Order: sequence, then C-alpha cells, then structure tokens
Amino acid sequence: MSNPSTHPTATVRIQRFNPETDAKPHMQEFQVELKPGTTVLDALHEIKTHQDGSLTFRRSCRHAICGSCAMHVNGKNELVCNAPLKDRLDRNGRITIRPLPYLPIIKDLVVDRSSFWEQYLRVKPWLMPPAETPEQEFRMSPEEVAALNSAETCIMCGACYSSCQIVGLTKEYIGPHALLKAFLRVMDPRDAIPGARLADLDGADGVYRCRTIFNCIDACPKNLNPTLAIETLRKLAQKREAFEQARIERQKHLDEPIPAR
Amino acid sequence: MYTSSGFISFALRRLTGVALVVYLFMHLWVIGSVNAGPEAFDARLAFVQQPLFKLLEVALLAAVVYHAVDGIRIMVVHYTGITEYRKSMFYAVLAVSTLLVIAGGVPIIRFMLEG
Repeated sequence: MSNPSTHPTATVRIQRFNPETDAKPHMQEFQVELKPGTTVLDALHEIKTHQDGSLTFRRSCRHAICGSCAMHVNGKNELVCNAPLKDRLDRNGRITIRPLPYLPIIKDLVVDRSSFWEQYLRVKPWLMPPAETPEQEFRMSPEEVAALNSAETCIMCGACYSSCQIVGLTKEYIGPHALLKAFLRVMDPRDAIPGARLADLDGADGVYRCRTIFNCIDACPKNLNPTLAIETLRKLAQKREAFEQARIERQKHLDEPIPAR
Repeated sequence: MYTSSGFISFALRRLTGVALVVYLFMHLWVIGSVNAGPEAFDARLAFVQQPLFKLLEVALLAAVVYHAVDGIRIMVVHYTGITEYRKSMFYAVLAVSTLLVIAGGVPIIRFMLEG
C-alpha cells in the first residue's frame, strides 16, 4: 500500500440522485488520490470501492470501445475510461462529473437511453441486401469503402445524442447517432433501399430538424462527423429518385471487378 | 445544459428571429394605421420617434444583421460541408455583425442626440 501523503489528491464532484430518497439531484465531493495513469473511470471505481458503495454508473470494457461510460465531464460529453484524470482537473484540482444531459436520470450517473435506442431502430440500422447477391464476394471500389469509413467506427455511446440541444427540445428528432448510421447504410453500394431510407429521413423529424449546432462533432470520442453526414443526407434526399436509380445500376455489377483507372 | 459556440449561435439566431417577428407586428401597427386617416398615422409615427425607439432601432439593426450574417454562415455549411472551421466561422459572424452594427448604429445615435 502506498502512503497517502506521497500522492496529491483530486477533488471529484459528482452529481448524485437516488430516486427513492431525493427530490432532485445534488452535488457531492470526494477526495481521490492522484496516482500516475489514473483515469476518470478509475477515480469513480476508487470512490465506489473505498468511499461510497452506493455510487452508481455504467462501465464495461475500459478500452473506449463498448460505449457504456459516456458522461458529462466538466461540461463536455466524453468516455471517462480513456480520459486521464490529471488532464481534466481545473486550477483547484477539481473535476465535475454529471450524467449525460437531456436524458432522464435513473440513478446518479446512469441515464435512461430508451429514446436513443428507439430512434436507432427507427432508421433500420441493418443492411438490406439486394434480391440477387453475388455467388462470391461483393466488389466495392476504394472510394466506396472510404465513404463508409467515416461512419462505421461509431460505438453507440450516446455522447453525440445527449450533446444535441434539439434532442433536449424534442425526443421526436432522429438524432445524430441514428442519422450517422442511416448515412452508413445509404452510402453502402450493397444496400437495396436507399430511396425508402431517404424518404423516411426527409421528414420534419429527420435531417431538417438539425440546426447545425455542431455539438455532436465535439462530443464524438471516435472523431466522427455526424453533422457532415446529415448535410450529405440532405443533399441526397433532394435527388432521391436519381440516387435510387444509380444504386440499381450499381447493383447490377456488384460481383464484377472494379475497373482499374 | 451543453454550452458551446454552436449553442450560442443557435440561441442568438432563435432569439433574434423571435425579436424580428415581434418587430414585424409593431411595424404593421404603425403602418396599418394609415387606413384610419392621416391624424392617426401621424400620432403613431410621432409615438415611435421618441429617443427610446432610436435605441430600439439600433437593437433592431443588431438583430437583423446578426440573423442575416449567421444565415449566410449556415448556408455556407449547407452547400460546402465545411465543419472543421465551425468555431472560427462563428467568431467571424460576430466580428462582421459588430462592425456592421457600429457602422449603422453610430449615425442613428448621432441623429438621436442632434435631433
């Protein structure tokens, strides 16, 4: 065991809320030793293990890939598992952790993400393959693959969704996460229903609800760009029929090699 | 609450938009009185030529200029897909708006003071 005096301490302010006893959330401060390599999630674990076992939060993989531990740290949404505690402290050695904003709080740092998943399922986030699939592999050009790269590393952490003021105003909005996933499917040359997808996204709850606030870009821990995806979907939705026709033509050649240029 | 330059631009755009709608009705209240005869029209016109309304005119100018310049910024984003300069573009909007409001507001204030 290390001597406590050898490490400086950090003050961790956490928003607490117990639905059984509290009328509204309140802030509570904890002191945590600032050891080298401590992440914000480590500090939460330290508090839960040694100081207050009732502290409630979500976490799973600790490698920034499961998307469980997105929280509102010092006014920004991020994954606490790969956030170094040292870098997040202010001048007085304090850090403030709140649950994701604009979502109903279940307990402490755990929020109800039902609307997040409902909107995700609304855009049919799975691939709809063409009626005739190639006997062997689909052939895609490097450009077509590159377009998908800008959307496929999403880990569904909810950081973008809960950073969006439009989500705060109305849960009818599809949301940046689901629009980014819809963009991934619309741009995929193997997908057979881009027209129907664009028709759904074209409504008042879809791409036109976005007010270009850009919070989703700042919040994304994977450096994705939902705003640009929404802008692209807007343009595609305006020429939906031509885009659908081009996709039908493209799918006639899915099993052929990409011509060299 | 999630504050950012994008949120500030969004909030200002909404507030100035509502302010412009309110102004439209005040404008109609003055202009519409022409149907009630020259006396009624002159009375209302005199009412809105008090010094307070000159200051409100500067506020109106600020609302119109910000709303318009920010709209241009949004159109640039829509048509070009530029998102990496989002903060700089917002600050540019504020700078251009401020310059235009000063350029237009100073003559209004001087007119108010000199009569």
